[in-house]
Amino acid sequence: MTQVYPEFADELEGFGVNTTMDCFNCGTCAAICPLIYEHFPRKMIRYAQIGAKDRILENYEDLWRCLHCGLCIQTCPREADPGDLILGLRRFVVDHWRRT
Amino acid sequence: MYNPKYIIDVLADNIRKTRNPFGAGNGTVNKWWKGSDLPSNGDAMLFTGLMYQLMPFIKKTTVQIERFEDTKMADYVWLQKYVPKLMVKLGYIFMADKKDKKASNHILKSMVKLLVKSNVNLFYRPKLDYYSGILLYDLGDNEGFIEHAEFVANKLKENGIKKIITVDPHTTYALKVLYPKYTGIEFDVKTYFELIDFEARDGNSQVTLHDPCFYGRYLELSDKPRKILDRFGIDHVDVRNSGKFTHCCGGPAESISPSLTKEILSKRYGSLQETGKPILAMCPVCLGNLQKIDADVEDLSVFLAQYAN
Repeated sequence: MTQVYPEFADELEGFGVNTTMDCFNCGTCAAICPLIYEHFPRKMIRYAQIGAKDRILENYEDLWRCLHCGLCIQTCPREADPGDLILGLRRFVVDHWRRT
Repeated sequence: MYNPKYIIDVLADNIRKTRNPFGAGNGTVNKWWKGSDLPSNGDAMLFTGLMYQLMPFIKKTTVQIERFEDTKMADYVWLQKYVPKLMVKLGYIFMADKKDKKASNHILKSMVKLLVKSNVNLFYRPKLDYYSGILLYDLGDNEGFIEHAEFVANKLKENGIKKIITVDPHTTYALKVLYPKYTGIEFDVKTYFELIDFEARDGNSQVTLHDPCFYGRYLELSDKPRKILDRFGIDHVDVRNSGKFTHCCGGPAESISPSLTKEILSKRYGSLQETGKPILAMCPVCLGNLQKIDADVEDLSVFLAQYAN
């Protein structure tokens, strides 16, 4: 069972992300991403929106596959900056490692 | 894939102790300026960010990283931070190929040649030329990045540096966008090719530009090198993914997963090859990767410097 934290979007603001809830999961980011890897980054953004912290921490390796090349940021129809959200999630995970 | 935690720990430790991601020390890495007559005062300071100088070392270490990726040895990479920095320094001196060091130095000298030909009043102070810390930012260690950025920004500010000329997209982005945001210290930052201003003619050459992601999208500077090529009468044949829609060379994943880098690089090289023209790179990471795949590639500065005689 996955525990969700709806206030996680607010927590992510502390890691430089204020667009978590802007994404409407259209998948343009996953289509343009050079990785072409299991709905990345869309799935990760969905986890962030519902606050599935455990899923993010379990699948942390996926975050570091991101090249931060910016193609998804350039093409996102909602200007939700998917690449920057992934970078914010990396900061969240690094912070978690350092605190635990 | 390497565990990013280990890689971040090693890089952060190296940068904290030596201000250099490989722990080799800036004096060991930064020797390109020796023997040149660059002034130490002037209007704008050349700030290389040491990325071109690190190319020969990156080339050698990547071979090792590739060898141990997804093996049991990969779990011991964090031990690197306990290797004495003197050993790392010796490692740099002996590991990095002389030929590669010479090629990196030649790129920086070509940039200076272009700036001098353009009558730019530049100066250089090697002791103020630091790595920007961008890798820590990219890997998500914001705390480590800010600490280093504050150190570098304050050093430059204390020495009265206001105008900076950069040579690569990553350092340019760090100094132009990230330093003001995270340190509150601003500089007037321009990359070297924005300052190229002289006349030359060539009616025969044809090239294909590979735009780095940071110049193409984050800094929106892709039109600048194209305007220089137009001015010199050099034909540039673009691939579909260029400018704002350029495709990554795979370099950013190199420290965590060289196999992923290889996969992305192959895709990019495939599309660049379609034009059949020699490729010009503008970033040490892109250049190193394209050289690794045996592409017909050279740095934009080296190509342009032939017109600065």
